[in-house]
Amino acid sequence: MSHDYFIWMSYGAAAIAVAAELIALRLGRARALRRIEEEKDLETQD
Amino acid sequence: MNLFFFSSPPTFFRLAGAMAPWFFVLAAVLAAAGLYVGFVVAPTDAVQGEVYRIIFIHVPAAWMSMFLYFVMACWGAASLTFNTRLSAMMARAIAPTGAMFTFIALWSGAFWGRPTWGTYWVWDARMTSELVLLFLYFGFIALANAFEDPRRGDRAAALLGIIGVVNLPIIYFSVQWWNTLHQGSSVSFKGTSMHIAMLWGMLLMALACWMYAIGASLVRVRSVILEREARTRWVRELGPRASAAIAAPGVTKLPG
Amino acid sequence: MNVAAQVAAMPPPEGSFGAGFSWAIARDLTLALRHPGETLLVVAFFVLVASLFPMGVGADPQLLLRIGPGVIWVCALLAAFLSLPSLFAADYADGTLEQMVLSPHPMPGWVSGKIAAHWLVSGLPLTVLSPLLGLQYGLEVATLAALAAALAIGTPVLSLLGAACSALALGARGGGILLALLALPLFVPVLIFGAGAAEAQAAGLSSAPHLSLLGALAIVATMGLPFAVCAAVRIALD
Repeated sequence: MSHDYFIWMSYGAAAIAVAAELIALRLGRARALRRIEEEKDLETQD
Repeated sequence: MNLFFFSSPPTFFRLAGAMAPWFFVLAAVLAAAGLYVGFVVAPTDAVQGEVYRIIFIHVPAAWMSMFLYFVMACWGAASLTFNTRLSAMMARAIAPTGAMFTFIALWSGAFWGRPTWGTYWVWDARMTSELVLLFLYFGFIALANAFEDPRRGDRAAALLGIIGVVNLPIIYFSVQWWNTLHQGSSVSFKGTSMHIAMLWGMLLMALACWMYAIGASLVRVRSVILEREARTRWVRELGPRASAAIAAPGVTKLPG
Repeated sequence: MNVAAQVAAMPPPEGSFGAGFSWAIARDLTLALRHPGETLLVVAFFVLVASLFPMGVGADPQLLLRIGPGVIWVCALLAAFLSLPSLFAADYADGTLEQMVLSPHPMPGWVSGKIAAHWLVSGLPLTVLSPLLGLQYGLEVATLAALAAALAIGTPVLSLLGAACSALALGARGGGILLALLALPLFVPVLIFGAGAAEAQAAGLSSAPHLSLLGALAIVATMGLPFAVCAAVRIALD
């Protein structure tokens, strides 16, 4: 295993982790908004 | 200006939205600078060759993982002292980012250990402390989400954070002690003597991680605020403009 | 004077730390002795798991000598952890805990009493039994003494830390696993210094540094943690 492999694996994992976190942030945002819309739909039904 | 002005969720929501992108930009710039210094300016190490350059992600991530736990515990302590919801939400928002940095520190440490010491996992002081820290983060997140009432989760996790942060130096010290007794200094990540460029690289990357952490926490706390304050008028009135409000932070004005 | 005036004229009940402490320790000990199953479970688990290790790693005397203190300490950790839910859960479930919070005795008093009682039925039996298990691993007398001393100092710290985690997790989803996740990382320094004391003795060095550090931990824990436990109980009852 060349040393480059280890460097790539380290920084690659970091990059993937950051990307995963940013995606998770977007998903969390979308879920929160969806929940607000649902709440409002329920309200208007009353 | 009264400090508590910013502890109102709608005000902080707008502020966080305006600030977050700038922190991400700063993080990117600092990371570019740090990686340039780390990979181009810093010389090849006499002992370890090129692989030592993992230090520029491993050490900053480790620093951030501990720093963020401390900050998280401070927000938790603030939430218990001042009984503010928003402080507790900030603590919750920081936790996943802190756990992520802990994971990066562990993973990069493993891939540094393999070529240098022959094994992926090395029971040195930092790695072992990081492992315990990862469990502390998981415990915090699990406890905060273990209750029906989110406020109960806030307070329990905040107290756990305080206990954890007091324990953290004790844990670190005990692991250091254990490590020096069992393995001596032969297995250590401090094998290289620090060239000034290496130090600069680590500092720049550490700042980059810090700016990123602030940005990510601000974005996350906005989602937390939306979920927790879903029943309030100001969130409802975000309405169909909600997606627009979040997509272009700081542009849309919130209703008064 | 009529009865109402007489009652109103009575001084409010005064509580004291000592009275609360002795009341709580007596109560919890009585309850534990009426249902000895819990205590016996702790002891049985300790002995069982410590006996499993040689079956798993082989009975090489040299190996057992090396891993003995550490294994016995880990078993002690796990056994101490097992008995944690009984500290507050039963009282929380039937409302007794709320009543106790309302008592005139200062809260740190009776909370410390409960934790002391918990140690008496979990940590103390483990400490007393440890020399027997140590013999199974072929440890020498000096090592056994160091091990028992370390357990005697360390298990109260485990009870205190465990009590804080147990109070925090009252009524939480996730039950025992959550408690493990909270408590076991906090146990790490106690494990390191406790096992280290016995291992140092086995290697011919003095166990005094380890025991001193363990003692320092015990003092800090005894002074500080009861208040954390009180705060956690109050959070649980709000």
